[in-house]
Amino acid sequence: MRKIFGLTAALLLTFSASVMAQDDISPARKQAIDSLALEKVRDLSKYISIIGNKDTPWSEANRVIERTLELFAEGSLMGVSSINREEVNYYGIREYLERLMALNYDKVTISWYNIQYISDLERQPDGRYVGVITIFQRFEGTTKEGLRYVDVTKKDVTVYVERKTTQISGRIIGFWDVLLGDIRVTETKPG
Amino acid sequence: MERLSKSSARWKSRARFAVMMLLVVSLGAGFSSCSSQKKAAKKKAEQELAEKKAKAKADLMAIINDDGRMTLEEKEFKLASVKRMNLDDQEIRDLITQAEEKLAAERSAIERRKEEERLKREQEERERELREGGPYRAINNSLDAVANAGDVSTANMRIREALTAFTGDDVPVLILISSDGGIKDYDRPTTIRKYLEFIKDQKKSPNKVLNAVYDASGKIRELELIKK
Repeated sequence: MRKIFGLTAALLLTFSASVMAQDDISPARKQAIDSLALEKVRDLSKYISIIGNKDTPWSEANRVIERTLELFAEGSLMGVSSINREEVNYYGIREYLERLMALNYDKVTISWYNIQYISDLERQPDGRYVGVITIFQRFEGTTKEGLRYVDVTKKDVTVYVERKTTQISGRIIGFWDVLLGDIRVTETKPG
Repeated sequence: MERLSKSSARWKSRARFAVMMLLVVSLGAGFSSCSSQKKAAKKKAEQELAEKKAKAKADLMAIINDDGRMTLEEKEFKLASVKRMNLDDQEIRDLITQAEEKLAAERSAIERRKEEERLKREQEERERELREGGPYRAINNSLDAVANAGDVSTANMRIREALTAFTGDDVPVLILISSDGGIKDYDRPTTIRKYLEFIKDQKKSPNKVLNAVYDASGKIRELELIKK
């Protein structure tokens, strides 16, 4: 009986040590995933500016929309605000990007800046890391008649990072899958 | 007349005596003045020597107790100056020995550090050569050419050119983001077509080739990248 108890205790210890080892990642690895998530937000910023740019050929803009969608988790929403109204409208990412492409301006310039974490990536009970990155977006649209609309919006981007594995040429590859979630508007000011 | 000549002789004799006395007195005075000059010179020399010794000790102590404010060259210069004085003083000789030992230790530490830096530079150079040079130079150049294309049609042309080096559009591309404690972490795997389009859109080529796997015809069937 005592032997069985000892064996069970040893097994439990081994199991919990293995679970703890999976939970803990070194500071160097954590820094790498922090940077990776920031890079994805910067990539999104570039894609949005390409899609919004009226000089981008239609086929290119559509291709970039498909690439942009790959950055997001299924069902994510994008907040859209205006200095001319109080409420913030939320659209699915594809709808937002298609509306952006079809904006009724002759020239559109969108730039994101001050991209940084406001809430560090934290490990959740399900093993995913979740954090929030804030960005400032400057939007400038000019009509054919020369009328200009400019605003600066502060937005919070939720990021999810999950460790996954895949098989490539018979090898198991461990990778970090970064997915962007909802993008919420927190402030809108005239530019 | 005789009286006159006697008196003149007496005068002459007295004058001679007076001149002799004057000579004796002046010689005596001269001798005494020379002796006091010598004493003063000796005293001055002693004072100068004491000052030299004090300065030499202060310089040597500054070398021994230096906490990094002086460069090694400054300290070596100071030590050489003290040694050139050839001061006959046991305390100074001891301090010179201590200063020499300290400078020798510092010199060897600097040389060791220089050697370590040289070895590190060589290692980095070898790694860089491995990653950027040789068989991967052409692939890296083709990635950079896509990123640096001035317009969409040029970029598309560069993509078509780059793809000729691969077995197909769907060749897997792995981007290594961290390699720590034997664990390799990658970004989400992509394909070469998507990666080339990514660098076209982002107008930057942030990664370089770490490894490429070729098929029998010399085309790439797997690509591993790492941040530049």
